[in-house]
Amino acid sequence: MDDLREQVELLESSANLSTSISDVQKAIDQLTAARAKIAAGAQTALTLAKLQDPFKKTLDAAQKDLKPIYSGLNKYGKVLDRKFKDKPLPSAENDALSSHPSLINRAIAMHLLREGQFSVASTFIAEANRRPPHPEPTANTPNPYLKESWERDLAEGTFNSEKLQRQFADMYHILHELRNERNLEPAIQWAKERSDELEARGSNLEFELCRLQYVRLFVDRRDDDDYMDERPDGPLHAYQYAVQEFGVFSKRYAHEVQELMCALAYWQNIEQSPYRRIFYNDSGWEEVAHSFNREFCSLLGLSADSPLFIAATAGAIALPYLLKMQSIMKEKRTEWTTQDELPVEIPLPTPYHFHSIFVCPVSKEQTTDANPPMMMPCGHVIASESLAKLSKGARFKCPYCPNESHPRDAKKVVL
Amino acid sequence: MAELTTTKLNAESHLLLDQPLLRMPYELSRRNFKNAQRVIEHHSANMASSLGAATKAASKASSPDATLESLDSMISKMQGLKRKLEGLHEEEMRIHKSAKARIQHLQDLYEVRSLVDVKYDEWSRTRLSRLLVDYLLREGYSESAAHLAQSKGIAELVDVDAFVACHKIERSLREGMSTSPALEWCKEHSKELKKSGSMLEFELKLQQYIELVRQGHEAGMSGGMDGIESDGMNGVSIGGGGGETKLAEARAHAKKHLSASGDHELLGRAAGLLAFRPWDEIEPYASLYSPSRWNHLATLFLSTHHSLYSLPPRPLLHIALSAGLSALKTPACHSAYTSSSANASSTTTTVCPICSTELNELARNVPYALHTKSIVENDPVVLPNGRIYGSERLEAFNKKVGTESGWVRDPVGGLKGDIWRESEARKVYIL
Repeated sequence: MDDLREQVELLESSANLSTSISDVQKAIDQLTAARAKIAAGAQTALTLAKLQDPFKKTLDAAQKDLKPIYSGLNKYGKVLDRKFKDKPLPSAENDALSSHPSLINRAIAMHLLREGQFSVASTFIAEANRRPPHPEPTANTPNPYLKESWERDLAEGTFNSEKLQRQFADMYHILHELRNERNLEPAIQWAKERSDELEARGSNLEFELCRLQYVRLFVDRRDDDDYMDERPDGPLHAYQYAVQEFGVFSKRYAHEVQELMCALAYWQNIEQSPYRRIFYNDSGWEEVAHSFNREFCSLLGLSADSPLFIAATAGAIALPYLLKMQSIMKEKRTEWTTQDELPVEIPLPTPYHFHSIFVCPVSKEQTTDANPPMMMPCGHVIASESLAKLSKGARFKCPYCPNESHPRDAKKVVL
Repeated sequence: MAELTTTKLNAESHLLLDQPLLRMPYELSRRNFKNAQRVIEHHSANMASSLGAATKAASKASSPDATLESLDSMISKMQGLKRKLEGLHEEEMRIHKSAKARIQHLQDLYEVRSLVDVKYDEWSRTRLSRLLVDYLLREGYSESAAHLAQSKGIAELVDVDAFVACHKIERSLREGMSTSPALEWCKEHSKELKKSGSMLEFELKLQQYIELVRQGHEAGMSGGMDGIESDGMNGVSIGGGGGETKLAEARAHAKKHLSASGDHELLGRAAGLLAFRPWDEIEPYASLYSPSRWNHLATLFLSTHHSLYSLPPRPLLHIALSAGLSALKTPACHSAYTSSSANASSTTTTVCPICSTELNELARNVPYALHTKSIVENDPVVLPNGRIYGSERLEAFNKKVGTESGWVRDPVGGLKGDIWRESEARKVYIL
C-alpha cells in the first residue's frame, strides 16, 4: 500500500500538468510581446523571425514536460499490477444472482430503509420502478424470463407498498427519541400496543422501558440547581409513576418492582445504597435501544442486523477460499458433484453462525428435511439415512454406546 | 483453539473485491494524460506552422495589420489550449485525490487485525455502501447511486461520473439506436481497442452499413409502390432514385470500413443484404436486420468498456453476495420446520439473515455451506416434542416468560407453547 501511495503522491506533487501549463503561458507571453512590438512599429518580418526559434522551443518544452507524467503513470501502473498480481478479478462463474435482479433490488431497498436512508430509498424505488432491471441467465436459472409468479409478486409487493417504509420510519423516530432526546414515551407507547406479542416472545422490553422511565424520574432532581433541596421531587414523581404503571408487572417482575420500591427509602443517598447499579447504569439507554431495535425487527420477521451487510461481509470472507477452490478444480479438471453444497468449508467467525448445524457422525453429511436427524433412545443422534443403513430395519447397536434399540424407537429431532 | 484462526483478518487476501477500486482512477488518469498529450501535440504543430506562414506573409506584405491579426488568432488559440490544459489539470488533481483517498481506505483495513473487531464492522459497512453504489451505477440507477454516495460521504471511493458517461452511450445504442456516441468513444480509445483486438468498432460500422441498406430498401420500396399505382409494375425493382443512392452509399461505406476485417462469411452475409430486403425475413439476412442487434451492440459496448477499465463483467455486489449467501446458508434456511436455534418467535434467538425476508428467496438457488463438524449449543437437551435447545438458553427463556419453577416451556411456541415437567427434558448427545 505504501508504495502505491508514494506513486500517487509523486504524481500529485510534481509529475502533473502544471509545468506544461506554465510553458503554454510562456508561449502566450512571447506572442503578446511580439505583437506589442509590431504594434509599436517594429519591423514585422524581423520580429516574427526572431520569435520563431524561442517560440518553438517553448512549445517543445511543453511537450517534453509531459514525460515525467508518462513515466510516473507507468510506474504507478506497474506497482498496481504487482499489488494485484495474485488477486485475479473474481469471475462471473459463481454469480447466481443476475437472474433475480428484482429480488436484489428489493433487498437493497429494504436495506436502505432499515439503515434509515429514507430519501435514498425513495429515490431508488422510484428509479427502479421507472427502469425495471433485465434478468440475465445464470447456471442454475438458465431462463430467467420465465419468472415464477411468486417472485414477481414478492419483488413488486415491496416496491409498490409504502408500508415497510412507514414501519421503519416509525422505528427510526422511536430510536431517535430514545437515543438523542432521552424520551421514552414513543417507545413505551409502541411496546404497550404490542404488549401481548412481546410477552409471548419472552421479551422484557416493556418492563425495561418502564423501569428506565422510573429511574429517569427518580434521578431527575439531581440536574436541578437546588441540589440541597430537601423535598424529594424526583423520587415522588417516580413513586407516582410506579403506582400508576407497575401494577401490570407485579406478577412477573415482582422482585424487580420490589427493588425499585425499596430504593425509595434511600432517596437521599442512592449513590451509597445497594441499588446504585440500577440508578447509575450509563449503558442502560444503549441496551434498551438495542433491544428495542431487535424486538422491532423480529416482530416483522426480519433479522436485527441488515442481512445484506452480513451476507456481503461473509462473502468477502469466503471469497479467497472459493477462488482458491476454483483454481484447484480448474487445475485438476474436476467438477464438484454435489450441486447443493459448497465443496470447501469456509471458516466464518462465530457471530456469523445462526442455525445450529448437525453433521451426522456416521455419514459426515449435514442433515436436511429429507434426511433429518434422529435420536436413538440412548440419546445419541445420527442422520435418518445412516440409521436406516445401520439397522436394516431390525434391532441394532448404537455406533457410539453399547445400547441396542429398534429403529422405530428413534425419534426425529429439530435443532 | 480453532476459533482464533478463523477470526484473523488477512488484509492481503481480503482485497480481492477491491482491485477495480484502484484500477479505475489509474485508467482515468491515463486517459486524462492522453487527452492532454493530444491537445498539446495538436496545438504545437498547428502553432509552429501558422507562425511560419505569418512570417512568410509578413516578408511580402508591407502593412503589419495582417500579421497582427494572425498573431491575435494565435494568441487566442494558445489561450484556448491553456484553458483546456487547466481543465485537464483540475481533473488530474481530482483523480489523484480520490486515488489517495482509496488507498487510505484500503490501508485502514491493514490496521484491523480481527474479523470480529468493531473497526472491521465499520470498514465493511463502507465497503457495502461502495458495492451498492457500484451495483446501482451498473444497473443504470445513477440518481440513486449519486444520492447514496453523497449521504454516505464516499463520493471519492466511487466512480459516478465515469459510469454515467458509459450509460449514456449504452442507452444511445439500446434505446436511441444511434451509433455516433459509441463511435466517438471508439475513436477516443482507438489505441487500446486495437491492442485488445476489440470488434466493437467493426460491429458499429457494420450497423451503420445495415441502416444505410435498410434506408435504401425502404426508399426503393416507396418508389416501387408509386410504380404499382402508376403503371402496374410490381414492386420488385428497387429502382426508386433515393433508394439507389442510399445503396450506393452503403456499398462505399462497406468498402471503406468493413472490407479490412477478413471475416468473409460475415461480409458475404452483409453483401447479401443488398439483395434481400428487411421484410423478406430470409435467414441469415433477417438476423442482421433485426432490432435485437442494438441490444447486442449495447452489451458489447458495456463489456468492452468494462474490460478496458479493468472492471469485472458482473457487479461486485453479485460476487460478494453469491459467496456470502452460500457461506451462510444452511439446510435449515429453507426447511419446512422452524429451526430451534434461530427464529423470530423468542427473544433468546435472532433471525438468521438468510431466513430474513430480504435474502430468503435469493438464496434459494445457491448451494449451502459445507460443514464437517456439528455446531450446537453447549449442553443440549431435547424436549418431548423433539426440539433441541442449549440448556442455558432454555433456562433463560423460561425465566424471562416467568414459567413456574419445575416446568419448561418450548420457546418456539412463545407463551402458548407446550409445557412439560423439567424432568421430561432429556440430555441429548451430539457428536
